[in-house]
Amino acid sequence: MFVVTHIRFEDVEVVYKTGLKALKGVSLDIPRGQFVVVVGLSGAGKSTLIRTVNNLVVPTKGNVNVNGVDITPARRGALRSARSDIGMIFQTFNLVKRSSVLRNVLSGRLGDLPAWRGVLSAFPRADVAYAHECLARVGIPEKAFVRADALSGGQQQRVGIARALAQKPSVMLADEPVASLDPPTSHAVMSDLKRIAREDGITTMVNLHFIDMARDYADRIIGMRDGLIVFDGTPDEATDTVFEDIYGRPLEQKDLRGA
Amino acid sequence: MLKANETTFEIPRPPPHMRRNRALMLAGVALLVALFVLALVTMQLPTWARFMTGLERNFAPLMRGLVRPNTEVFNLAWTSMVTTFFMAVVGTTLGALLAFPLSFFAAGNLLGGTRWAMPGKALLVAVRTFPELVLAIIFVAAAGPGATAGIMAMGIHSIGYLGKVFSDVVEGIDQGPMEAIRASGGNQLHTFLFAVVPQVLPEFASHVLYRLEINLRAATILGMVGAGGIGLPLIQRLQFRRWDEVSMFLLVIVGFIIVVDAISSRIRSRLV
Amino acid sequence: MPEPAELPRPPAASRLKTTATLVFVVALLVLSLRQTNFNLEALITGTSDFFRFFGRMAPDWTALPQIWPKLLETIQIAYVATVVGTLIATPLIFLASRNTSTDPITMRVARTLLTVLRSVPDLLWAALFVAVLGLGGLPGVVALTFFSIGVLAKLGSETVESIDPGPLEALRAVGAGRNRTIIFAVVPQVAATMVSYILYVFEINVRASVVIGLVGAGGIGQLLNNYLSWFDYTGAGALIAVIFVIVLAIDGFSVWARSKLI
Repeated sequence: MFVVTHIRFEDVEVVYKTGLKALKGVSLDIPRGQFVVVVGLSGAGKSTLIRTVNNLVVPTKGNVNVNGVDITPARRGALRSARSDIGMIFQTFNLVKRSSVLRNVLSGRLGDLPAWRGVLSAFPRADVAYAHECLARVGIPEKAFVRADALSGGQQQRVGIARALAQKPSVMLADEPVASLDPPTSHAVMSDLKRIAREDGITTMVNLHFIDMARDYADRIIGMRDGLIVFDGTPDEATDTVFEDIYGRPLEQKDLRGA
Repeated sequence: MLKANETTFEIPRPPPHMRRNRALMLAGVALLVALFVLALVTMQLPTWARFMTGLERNFAPLMRGLVRPNTEVFNLAWTSMVTTFFMAVVGTTLGALLAFPLSFFAAGNLLGGTRWAMPGKALLVAVRTFPELVLAIIFVAAAGPGATAGIMAMGIHSIGYLGKVFSDVVEGIDQGPMEAIRASGGNQLHTFLFAVVPQVLPEFASHVLYRLEINLRAATILGMVGAGGIGLPLIQRLQFRRWDEVSMFLLVIVGFIIVVDAISSRIRSRLV
Repeated sequence: MPEPAELPRPPAASRLKTTATLVFVVALLVLSLRQTNFNLEALITGTSDFFRFFGRMAPDWTALPQIWPKLLETIQIAYVATVVGTLIATPLIFLASRNTSTDPITMRVARTLLTVLRSVPDLLWAALFVAVLGLGGLPGVVALTFFSIGVLAKLGSETVESIDPGPLEALRAVGAGRNRTIIFAVVPQVAATMVSYILYVFEINVRASVVIGLVGAGGIGQLLNNYLSWFDYTGAGALIAVIFVIVLAIDGFSVWARSKLI
């Protein structure tokens, strides 16, 4: 198989203003279309890692290439157009709760829109149609005109996925997308995410701390501890011993989401 | 078994901090009472005799008038009150329009730190400190009597209040949606319009309505210093002690305000 | 991209509501602007007149000796009215609260009384009592007392109604009468909040007592009225500066004291 690198981390270091060293030199190649799950305890640097991909966190050293373009020095217009190619899903959904579901999804189109259209909310018909299509793909087409806060947690996260999808992204980032959901909903949301990534060939990085979910959905598992990559392999290779090494402690019940 | 009054159990002394607190509280109350007495004694109150003659002369006619509102002035009272309401609407709108942009410059979370919000906050405090009636009296002296003076006074005073509560609302918003819009490639204006405004608008509207209730009360009295509305015809009737007409004016004012309050608070409870 | 022939439309009811609200607000505003003759020109000339006038009010600090006694009177009026208002409002609060009232009829009456009291603006009380009692500080005290009762009783009964009902029930179970239940179960729960509200009422009473003098009810406002009618703008400037400082100080004190309480 001909493998093309889609996202490349080159010796990425992140030091926060507080002096905290979140990433201590991470290098990593992610090929196009791969579904990568990043595991590790909270504070291991997972969130920081995926946030360097869309430059929400700026590396203090090293750089991140997406599609062969270095995103690290990108600012303003260049940064925005780079970001519009990268969808992101959040643990707390980050929806505007008082806006309608459709408006939340449409906000994913803002990066590609001429400024005046964004300001006047004058979305082209095609964009509106696409937003509806995205909602249909995550299975909630009938919720378009409902206020976001009227939805259940699982439905809100689906709106989050639809919003990211509306960007027509080639990269999808998901920061603990199921941490606020119950087990059955978690599986449903992860299946949706995986299915869509497969159908559209989207390169996906998901942060998770549940071992079983990582093994169920990942093409590849990256283990992080203390700002460093300590494991990189297939789900089959990620045995319990490997996870104990990543977590630096024996496994516990809370490391499993369950079914 | 012992009865309650036969127990030999020794009562422990309350701990020192409790005794100290109680002593402090007693001292505080004593101080407040002393201040009250001092204020009463030093205040220039009319002599008892004068007070009683004033009361005798006015109280009975006042009561007679109050229970018999003069229906002839109803039309005048009603139309003046409606104008007063319009003044309050314009004044509140003016205040809200000006407070809207200001409030974002007084909100620490949007400016990247409380430091940058300080000038905005200080300006709002300064504006709020001038009572609207003082503003009104200056406007009347500067630009002549009329509704404009009242509207301007209400508008300016409202900026201080609305700017403050607006910026509190802005500081309480969920930052998550802002990050989401940024992550999807939106610029600052997009972030503002799609992640900030929808979150704050209903609460802004609720505060504006509340301010309208307050401004309606203010508008009814601004006329007493010549700044338009029902206050002028009312204070004329008060000065001539036409109690039956005053009574009708009071009925209209109180009724109008109660109805507007009720409608407004119903809308507000549905907004937020 | 394949486009559906017809995009889904938002439900008619929600569109209608949005449109209706918008139309109503705009119509009300247009009507109000027309009825009050307020427009952009009035706004601009009003603002420039205001600032030009304000420029002539450079404070003349020699007026201060005249101002102090009136300022003192203002604070006295506010303080006395707050104390008397609190004393009268306290029983009213319990009569008007659902969980402490004696019977539904008394509660209705008390609530209606409070609603009426609250709908009369401070200055209107002042003008009313000036007409009855003559000029001076006394009508000011009486006016602000009535005003305080309305505000305080409203805030107070909201607080009382939001208390934890558990202790109330416990004391009733012990067999305590209504007054004892209030003293032992309600007062401890609401005391801190109430003190903070009393401070707040004192704060708004100071603001009000500054202005009630404009209709003859004593205090610093009367002096402001005099200065302006004598065209003594620099004296008025000094007085407004004093008002500014005193309101700021009382606000600051009240905010500080309330933050200590809760």
